[in-house]
Amino acid sequence: MKYTRILTGAWLLCAAFAVYAAGNIPSLPTGFDSSFVQTRTLPGFNLPLVSRGTLHIDNTHGFRWEITSPYHYVFVMNGDNAQEQLPDGTIRHLNPEQTPWLAAVEHIFVSALAGDRTDLQQYFVVIVTQLPKGQRILLTPKPGPMANAINNILVTESAPGHPQRLIIKENSGGSMDIRFGPESRTASGS
Amino acid sequence: MHLPAAARWTIWLASLGVLCGFAWTRLDVQHPINTNILSLLPGERESPVIAAATERSRDAFARQLLVLVSGEDTLQTRSAALAAQQALLAAGLHMDDSGRELGRLLNTYQTHHFALLNAAQTARLDKDGENAFATDVAVSMASPATMVNVFESDPGGYLNRFISELPRPYPDFLPDGPYLTAVRDHQRYYLVNMELRGSAFAEQGATLAAHAVRDAEAAVHKVCAGCKFQATGASLFTNAARDDAQHEIQWLTIVSTLLIMALIAFVFRSLAPHVLAALQLVASILAASAAVIACFGSIQILTLVFGTTLLGIAIDYAFLYFAEYWFGDSAPQSVMRVVRPGLFMGLLTGVVAFAFLLLAGFPALNQIAVFSVAGLLEAGLVVVLIFPVTLTQPSHVAVHPAVVWPQRFIKLACRPNRWRYLLPALALLLAIPGWLRLHTSDDVRDLQHFPQQLTQSDQQIRNTLGQIPPPGYFLIEASDLEQALGREETLFARLRQTLPDATLLGLSRFLPSVMQQRASLSAWKRIFASPPALDRAFTHLGLPVELATRIESEWRAAPHQPLSAQSLFDAAPDLKTFVIPAGSNVALLASVNSRADINPVALQQAAAAVSGVSFVAPLTRITDTFHRIRVRASWLVIIGYLLISALLVWRYGRREALRMLYPPLLALGVTLGALGWLNVPVNIFVVVALILILGLGRDYTVFLREGGARLQSSALAVTLSALTTLCSFGLLALSQIPALHAFGLATLIGILASYLSAPLSLPPTDGVLE
Repeated sequence: MKYTRILTGAWLLCAAFAVYAAGNIPSLPTGFDSSFVQTRTLPGFNLPLVSRGTLHIDNTHGFRWEITSPYHYVFVMNGDNAQEQLPDGTIRHLNPEQTPWLAAVEHIFVSALAGDRTDLQQYFVVIVTQLPKGQRILLTPKPGPMANAINNILVTESAPGHPQRLIIKENSGGSMDIRFGPESRTASGS
Repeated sequence: MHLPAAARWTIWLASLGVLCGFAWTRLDVQHPINTNILSLLPGERESPVIAAATERSRDAFARQLLVLVSGEDTLQTRSAALAAQQALLAAGLHMDDSGRELGRLLNTYQTHHFALLNAAQTARLDKDGENAFATDVAVSMASPATMVNVFESDPGGYLNRFISELPRPYPDFLPDGPYLTAVRDHQRYYLVNMELRGSAFAEQGATLAAHAVRDAEAAVHKVCAGCKFQATGASLFTNAARDDAQHEIQWLTIVSTLLIMALIAFVFRSLAPHVLAALQLVASILAASAAVIACFGSIQILTLVFGTTLLGIAIDYAFLYFAEYWFGDSAPQSVMRVVRPGLFMGLLTGVVAFAFLLLAGFPALNQIAVFSVAGLLEAGLVVVLIFPVTLTQPSHVAVHPAVVWPQRFIKLACRPNRWRYLLPALALLLAIPGWLRLHTSDDVRDLQHFPQQLTQSDQQIRNTLGQIPPPGYFLIEASDLEQALGREETLFARLRQTLPDATLLGLSRFLPSVMQQRASLSAWKRIFASPPALDRAFTHLGLPVELATRIESEWRAAPHQPLSAQSLFDAAPDLKTFVIPAGSNVALLASVNSRADINPVALQQAAAAVSGVSFVAPLTRITDTFHRIRVRASWLVIIGYLLISALLVWRYGRREALRMLYPPLLALGVTLGALGWLNVPVNIFVVVALILILGLGRDYTVFLREGGARLQSSALAVTLSALTTLCSFGLLALSQIPALHAFGLATLIGILASYLSAPLSLPPTDGVLE
């Protein structure tokens, strides 16, 4: 039916990364536990929005994203279950199928940690630059809906499998810059 | 009738020409053959909205061709999917080209994003005001779920969520470039979704799709030998069904034609019967079709199929004439006089029986009645007008054993002994358990036959995609679009409670009702009514006040009008698919998809709970149509038979008439019993076979009664009629197509029983009539 084309197209744009959802995410050899500073720049808005928090990923507990400043916000996803705790304390359950970025974010981190970039190469032009410690990986979306929203993604490692910085540049002019703290460390995989 | 040959030919050709000419003026040139089975339903004509909605729903489903390529290696499988896609495009299929339309749609949504809050979001903002909004903005900045701002201006991520919540065609599959993909049991699946621009049910479209799939499969295996290729679509089923039907009809037609020609040649040893029988049949079909078109403008495909039974009856009149001419005692000039009583009586009873179907009130039965009456009259006219002036010289074919044998059989069967009563009684006794086992089926799916491989592929693909075709669709009717959208929203709210896992498809998913949009705009108006309060809420969460100021200025610049349907359709014309023309009213088409079969009762209940909403199940409607036609046809045949009984009583007296009515009814009972024993359900095709059996059985008794056992020509005519019917329709029992098999089997048993029981119509006095 014609409208299914619209549906597919609209959803493709929003779910550009969703291809990495459940079933496609590699297992983590180790976990990831780090503080971070997130700087968000909105198009046409000079003042960057800065927040701080922690990120914890492991194969048992899944993905936990916690903002501690300037407000408290927690996002947890494990398998098909996802929920968030809002700054006012409200708990909200999310439908992962309708929040495709969840799986995307999880996958980017997990792929980087697992050292598995085969999947990434299907959807991005991947340019890897060797650094004294680790690598810098530039992901440029291949033509398609993802390229409509994302200009590029830059992941810098502090050591192999240890992301130090993640920058997402949007076509709208906005950007997301996440710097992981120096205390970044690996944890047990399970 | 002592008319010269030229006058007879002129009258015949002129009558046929006038009829055909009149039909030509009435012909619906665009649709000479009507294939819409739903138009058989009387109510369907009163509801063009349902007809239009059904057609749109059917077309959308039928034009889709789904190809699934799977393999263990992701990259190789993706390359194979690409090869399949290229092959399908090269073969003439089409793919999604809605990129520009999508861009326009998203721009439109972005322009009106303040009007697109859903009910829950509106209630939240209404309740907690600027604090709720500031919280949502903070979450949209912080959450990894909205890490990328797809839209330039989407404070709170509401638009992102609106787009994300649009229904998805295949929930388990995720986008990967031009494909959708998923992993199942360590296999990577790629879905290539293609579209057929023409009709999937037309020969051209079905053939094109089948060839494209064949090319795509070869392309896949060339790129990835280990990859699995599966395809499904209505066009593939159409192609398979057509191929099967053509193959069967071809060999059945060849075999039956050869058998009948051999039989006629063996008995009459002349070319003339072939030519005259062919002339009679062609003229009958032509007149019958012309009469239907003259009355209805076009001819139903079902009428053509059922009308072929006419051939079996019409040729009886020819055999009656041939038998008397070639082997009777009459001179050529007297043949017509001898056969006239039998011919006219057979014609009269046949016409009365079929004319009765006109009272059915069903377009299909009306057409069959007109077709059959006109065809029978034409067949009779050819015999009366043409045969006497073409068969004018005495026949020189000597009587041979094949001519004598039928009369011997009749005489033997007419001897007064106890077997004459015992055998029919025994047959009926054996039939009784069969009657008790008899069951009916009007499900159109039981009438079709598809290759097992195609059916399995379809099942596997639907299961892998997690999308089972819904049993029907919702039709939401209202006086205007706003009311229709409101009703659809109410319906969807109910369905979310009863079917939480289902995907709901309808215009309201793309265009919230004006009422909801106004509520959304009002919520925003209240938020921005007090800038200091908004600033405080932002500051409280550590968000910059400048962000609040910027959002406020965006609000002031934005249109404070709801998104209109016209704006939406201008951006995405494809969405008009949901709107069905309904005169001055508005009707919306909506559907529900699920990973498993949905109980239609739940959908009917949901529809019944909302004013103006109905649930339409096209398959059920077709089944109901067939059921109603079957039941009504059965009753009309019974009533018609009673009327014929009165005619026979008038012509032959009560005692003789009862004796003549008994054999066809016996044959009917035996046929139904046998079908019960063989577990063949009674469907509409079987009922048509029963009409044929009654019609032929009645002809046999009339011909024998008129000629008695003394006339070998009557016995020969009846025998030839039975044998040719068995050779033509009886052979259909070998068909793999359930509809044809049931028809053929019923005809085979019924005609055999009719023939064997026909002598019972004569008195037990060696067939000598008083």
